[in-house]
Amino acid sequence: MNRPTDRAGIRARRAVSLPPLLFLLAFFALPALIMVGASFRHPGEFGGLAPLLAAGGAGDGGLTLEAYRFFVSDTVFVEIFARSFAVALATTLICLTLAYPLALLIARSPRRRRDVMVLLVILPFASNFLIRVYAWIMILGPLNLLYTPVAVIVGMVYVHLPFVILPLYTNLEKHDPVLLDAAQDLGASTWQRFWRVTFPLSLPGVFSGGALVFIPVLGMFAIPELLGGTGDILVGNLIKEQFLESRDWPFGSTLSIMLTFAVLAAAWAMTRLARGRRGAV
Amino acid sequence: MRRAIALSLAAAVAGPAAAADVLHLYNWNNYITEATIRRFEARCGCRVKQDYYSDNEELLAKLEAGATGYDILVPSGNAVETLIRQAALKPLDRALLPHLGNLRAEYMDAWYDRGNRYSVPYAYSITLIGYNVDRIRALGLPADSWALIFEPRHLEKLKGRVTVLNSQRELLGAAMRYLGYSVQERDPARWEAAKRLILAAKPYWAAFSNSTYIKDLAIGNIWVAHGYSNDMFRAREDARAAARPFAIDFFTPKEGAVLGVDSMVLHKGGRRVDLAHRFIDFMLEGENAATLSNQIGAGNPNRAALPHIRPDIAANPHIFPGAAALARLEMVRDFDPRTRRALSRMWTEIKVR
Repeated sequence: MNRPTDRAGIRARRAVSLPPLLFLLAFFALPALIMVGASFRHPGEFGGLAPLLAAGGAGDGGLTLEAYRFFVSDTVFVEIFARSFAVALATTLICLTLAYPLALLIARSPRRRRDVMVLLVILPFASNFLIRVYAWIMILGPLNLLYTPVAVIVGMVYVHLPFVILPLYTNLEKHDPVLLDAAQDLGASTWQRFWRVTFPLSLPGVFSGGALVFIPVLGMFAIPELLGGTGDILVGNLIKEQFLESRDWPFGSTLSIMLTFAVLAAAWAMTRLARGRRGAV
Repeated sequence: MRRAIALSLAAAVAGPAAAADVLHLYNWNNYITEATIRRFEARCGCRVKQDYYSDNEELLAKLEAGATGYDILVPSGNAVETLIRQAALKPLDRALLPHLGNLRAEYMDAWYDRGNRYSVPYAYSITLIGYNVDRIRALGLPADSWALIFEPRHLEKLKGRVTVLNSQRELLGAAMRYLGYSVQERDPARWEAAKRLILAAKPYWAAFSNSTYIKDLAIGNIWVAHGYSNDMFRAREDARAAARPFAIDFFTPKEGAVLGVDSMVLHKGGRRVDLAHRFIDFMLEGENAATLSNQIGAGNPNRAALPHIRPDIAANPHIFPGAAALARLEMVRDFDPRTRRALSRMWTEIKVR
């Protein structure tokens, strides 16, 4: 943490942080604002948004809270949110459990083997996402698991696993082996060395890997659509339906905003949790 | 997509004059054969660049978001109406379409485009039921009614072997026809009846599926599927080609069903109105129109195509419905925003319960 104090340093810092800042402004803040605006409008007759100034006073101009009122008018929407969070949580926990041993194995392997193993983890990305999901249809069909909630979780875990392995591996690889030697010299068992040295040090990797799974799962619609049964609808499907089939942009925007808030709340809770843990260690 | 890139590269290499002669076609997946495209390219000395969509909503959403440069689109009736009312189409020049007279009168002058100022019918499909002939015969179930996907007494023998379309309008339409109402029905009490019908049947269904049912039927995972006639045709041909020990067939329920007529229209963002008219007229020639039925199993509104269509396809009443059957088919017309929102809520409830 050596903060540049001279003016040139500050200028350099600004120059470096400007492009990502502009990127976030253009591709996150601006669309988010448009979405907020859309959620207070009326749906257009053929999709899109109704004009702000309705001709002939049809009553569909101006701003309205109707989409929000519609959201709270029925418990089904909140129910789908709750269900999606449960699926996202389950996927995240399973991914972490599966990824941790593998990431540890890769990080502790000799340099040459390590690169090959990382390459193997990334290799599935070489084929299209949908083709890989279709392959699961063929695997799960004969097992009588296709079109069940289990199939959805399997698909979610499969698709997101590399996103946990990689940050965990980058974290674990940086650990100084001297620390483990020191712990051993002080009489720590294998388990103690893992639980009291490696694991606490890997927490940033656990949290960033977890976030990289949890958040995309909440927005995923293709996997429940292809592998899920008649009851497997997640919030991603619900939002997609508003923009395509129902052509109801205001309600779709409302759902997206609610999802954003829910994700922010979850991220906040996670950072609190992470900070709490670090304080305790 | 890769083909499209290769073509544009070829066009770029061939020089600016050739590069300008490109027709941009935005069409359904698997809705024209490669051979037909190549024949048109040879005839006009131009290139055809195709992009694909898998439903009308995707097409409308993409155009709404500002997609441009497409000369020809092939939307269904309700989407044609939407596009006309959004002033997104160019009117046709009939003088450039000498083969327009080949089309059968029953498919012309539809409610969405009186006088066919903007649209020329291309092909049609019926939303119907595809089934595993051997399984259904062995179970002694009737292959003539929507009861096959809605009645628990039949479904008990089919648990986990049925898929229905993941489409609000199509599934509601099927339920409405089974209950004796129109697919345009908006009476809340009748919607409630349809919802009860669907919820009673849902525990027996395997999934809501818009595309996977083709393969599921052809390999025998699924025995009954609600879907489009040209998809069922493909499942039938696939099962035959793979020499499966069972046969796939399809039927139009006697209560009536949804008819989807797709038409060629000129998008206002298109640059080659001349090539677009040549393409439309080319597809109106009997021999070329016939390829849509022979290879894709689509229904054909073209009278001159009939002599070129395989006799077994031309005689199939579920691809080419007779006058009485046609009278029981209905096209879907868009609901207003409030009704769409109410339907969306009912749909969500159906999914969650």
